[in-house]
Amino acid sequence: MSIRKLLAIWIFFVSIVISLIGFHSLAVQSEIEYWTMAGSLILLSISGHACGIHNYSTKKDGKNLFMLIYGSVILTIAALSFYIPDVLDLRPWEIYARIPDHFFFALIMLFVGIFTSYLSFRPYHNYNKEGAQSGALYVLHVTILLTLLPLFIIIFNIIFRGAGGITYEFLTEDIVSMGEQGGVYPAILGTLAMIALTAIIVLPLGVGTAIYLAEYARKGLAVRLIRTAVNILQGTPSIVHGLFGYAFFVLIVFNGQKCLLAGALTLAILTLPIVTRSAEEALNAVPGDLRDASLALGATKWQTIRKVVIPPSLPGILTGTVLGLGRAAGETAPIMFTAVYFSGAGTPRSLLRPVQALPYHLLSLYRLVGYRDVENQAWATALLLLIIVLGINISAIIVREKYRQRF
Amino acid sequence: MIKKILEILKEDCECAYKGLPKGMKMRVDDFDLWYGKTQAITSVNMNIQKNKVTAIIGPSGCGKSTLIRSFNRMNDTIPTVRTEGHVWLDGYDIYDDTADCVEIRRKVGMVFQKPNPFPFSIANNIYYGCQVNGMDVAKDEVVERCLKQAAIWEEVKDRLSENALSLSGGQQQRLCIARALAIEPEVILMDEPCSALDPIATAKIEDLINELKKDYTVVIVTHNMQQAARVSDYTAYMYLGELIEFGKTKQIFENPREESTEKYITGRFG
Ligand SMILES: Nc1ncnc2c1ncn2[C@@H]1O[C@H](COP(=O)(O)OP(=O)(O)OP(=O)(O)O)[C@@H](O)[C@H]1O
Ligand SMILES: [Mg+2]
Repeated sequence: MSIRKLLAIWIFFVSIVISLIGFHSLAVQSEIEYWTMAGSLILLSISGHACGIHNYSTKKDGKNLFMLIYGSVILTIAALSFYIPDVLDLRPWEIYARIPDHFFFALIMLFVGIFTSYLSFRPYHNYNKEGAQSGALYVLHVTILLTLLPLFIIIFNIIFRGAGGITYEFLTEDIVSMGEQGGVYPAILGTLAMIALTAIIVLPLGVGTAIYLAEYARKGLAVRLIRTAVNILQGTPSIVHGLFGYAFFVLIVFNGQKCLLAGALTLAILTLPIVTRSAEEALNAVPGDLRDASLALGATKWQTIRKVVIPPSLPGILTGTVLGLGRAAGETAPIMFTAVYFSGAGTPRSLLRPVQALPYHLLSLYRLVGYRDVENQAWATALLLLIIVLGINISAIIVREKYRQRF
Repeated sequence: MIKKILEILKEDCECAYKGLPKGMKMRVDDFDLWYGKTQAITSVNMNIQKNKVTAIIGPSGCGKSTLIRSFNRMNDTIPTVRTEGHVWLDGYDIYDDTADCVEIRRKVGMVFQKPNPFPFSIANNIYYGCQVNGMDVAKDEVVERCLKQAAIWEEVKDRLSENALSLSGGQQQRLCIARALAIEPEVILMDEPCSALDPIATAKIEDLINELKKDYTVVIVTHNMQQAARVSDYTAYMYLGELIEFGKTKQIFENPREESTEKYITGRFG
C-alpha cells in the first residue's frame, strides 16, 4: 500500500473521530476545551500538509496542491477560534440567550470532521473520478445517518424509559388518583374508537373528493377553489382545527357537550386534505391510456373509474389514508376541546359522550410532573402511543404490499 | 300539441338519419375539429366501405390520429375539443345531440398506437368489454374465439390467468386487438397498430387485418407506405388537417391525381 493511501486512511479516521467528538458534545452538552479542538485541528492540518506535500512531490499537479491549501485553512480556523469569546451574549440584540464557546467548538469539529473525511477519498483514489464518486456516496450515507439518528435516539429513549411502566394493570385499569396509579384502559379504547370513527368519516369524503378532482372536474375556477381550500386546510395548525371543532361541533351542533363524534369529525377535517391529496395523486398515476382503452370498449366513465382506475390506485389511497389516521391518532389539540376528559369519562359507550384519549392523557400527565409522581406513567403512555401510531403505519405498509402483489 | 311534438321528433329523426348507399359503412361529411382555437381537421369528406380496409396516411402531425379518434368520439375525452359537421354510421349521425357515445364505441372499436392492456389477467382483459356492456356470453367461449381471431391463442392458451403485462409488446398489441373484437363491433379503428412492433409481429397483424375484413370494416392509420399498399383497399392522404386525396389504394399509389400525394408516396416530401 502506498504512502498516499495510508495517509488518506489516517486522515479519514482522525476526522471521523473528531466529528464524533463534536457530535457527542452537541448531543449531551459536554464541554469541549479550546485546546482539545485546536489540538485535533492541528493534527488534521499536519496530516493534510503531509499528504499534500507527498502528493505534490510525486506528481506536480494543481489538484495535489489542494490538500496542502486545505491543511492551511484548518490551521487558520484553529487559530481564529481562539478569538471566540467565552460566552456569546445575545442580549444586547434583545435576544435572551447566551451561547457558550464550547458550542461553537463542537460545531466546528463536527463540520470540519465530516468535510475532511469526505476529502480524504480523493487522495485515496489518486484524485480520479472514482474518488469524487465514492466521496459523494459517503456524504449521502452521512446525511442518511444524521436523519435517522435522532429518530432512533427518540424511539430508544421512549422504549427504555417507558417499557417498565407497561404492566397488565396499566393496560387494563382506569386511572386512579390523577394518574399516579391505575392504568389507561379507557384512553386506549377512546383513541382506537376515535381513529376508527375518523376513518369511517374521512374515507368516503376524501376519496370522493379525489375522484371528482382527478376524473370529472374540468380545470376551471371551481376546481382551483377546491384545491386551494384543500391546501389551506392542510397548512392550518391543528389547534385551529380544535378551536373550530369546539366553536362549531361542540357549541352549535352538540349543545355544548364534548363528545366522541365531535372529536372524530374534527380529526376528519384535519386528515381530509392528506387523504384527498394522496388519493388524487394515486388516481392521477394511473395512465390515461387505460382510461382510453376502457372507454373505447364502450364502458361508461363510472365503469372505467370503478374497474380500471380505482383498483391499481387502491394501495396509494389506503397508504395515504392510514398515514393520515396515524397523524390523527397522535394529535392532542383537535380533540382536547372537542372530545376528551382527563379522567372520569370511562370506556366509550356512546358517540355522544366524551371519552379519554392517549395523547391528551399524556399532556395532562406532563402538566402534573413535579406535583405528583406520574413520570413513569407518562413515559409508559408515550410508549403506548408510539406503538399505536407505528402499528398503524406498519399496517399501511403491509396492506400496500399485499395489494401490490395482486396487480 | 302532441301532434307538434311528434312533428318535431320526426324532424329530429330525419335530420339524424340519412340512408347511406349500399356497401357504405361510414360517411364523413364536412367535418371540422378544433383543439381550443387551433383547427386540426378542416372540412374532411370521405366514405368508408363495408368489409374493406381504409388506410389513412400522411406526414406526422397532419391529423390522422385526430380524424380516426373522431370516428368513435374518443376526442370527447379531451375537454378543449370542438367539432362541426357530421359522421354517419349506417345512416345515423354520431355527432347528433341524441347520439349515445357508449353505444357508438360499442359499434366502433379501437386499437391504439401503444399497446395498452389492462393490468388484469389475459382472460379478464378480453372479457372486460362484455362485462361492461352487460353482454350475456360465456367467458371461456369469448376468450377463445377472440384470441383465435387475433392469432394469439396458441401462444397464450396455457397462461390465460397470467397478468397481461407479462406478454411481449407484439403479443400485447394482438391482445388489444382481441379485446376490441370481444364486444363484436362493426367497425375497427387502428391507430398505427404496428409502430411499436418488429417485422414479424407486424406481418402477423397485417395477416390478421386481411382476415378481419371478412367480418368487419377496418380503418387503419399508418406511417408505413408499403403497409398501406399491402393491406388497404382504399387510401386517404392527409396533409395539414385536410384530406388531399382519397381513392382506391391502387389508384393512389399508381397514379395519384395530386402532386403533393405523389411527392409523399415517392418519399420526395418536404
Ligand atoms: N390533445 C391535443 N391538444 C391540442 N392539440 C393537439 C392535441 N392532440 C393533437 N393536437 C394537434 O393536432 C394536430 C394533429 O395531431 P394528430 O395527433 O392527429 O397527428 P397525427 O397525424 O396522428 O401525427 P402522428 O403521425 O405523429 O401520430 C397536431 O398539430 C397536434 O399538435
Ligand atoms: Mg398519431
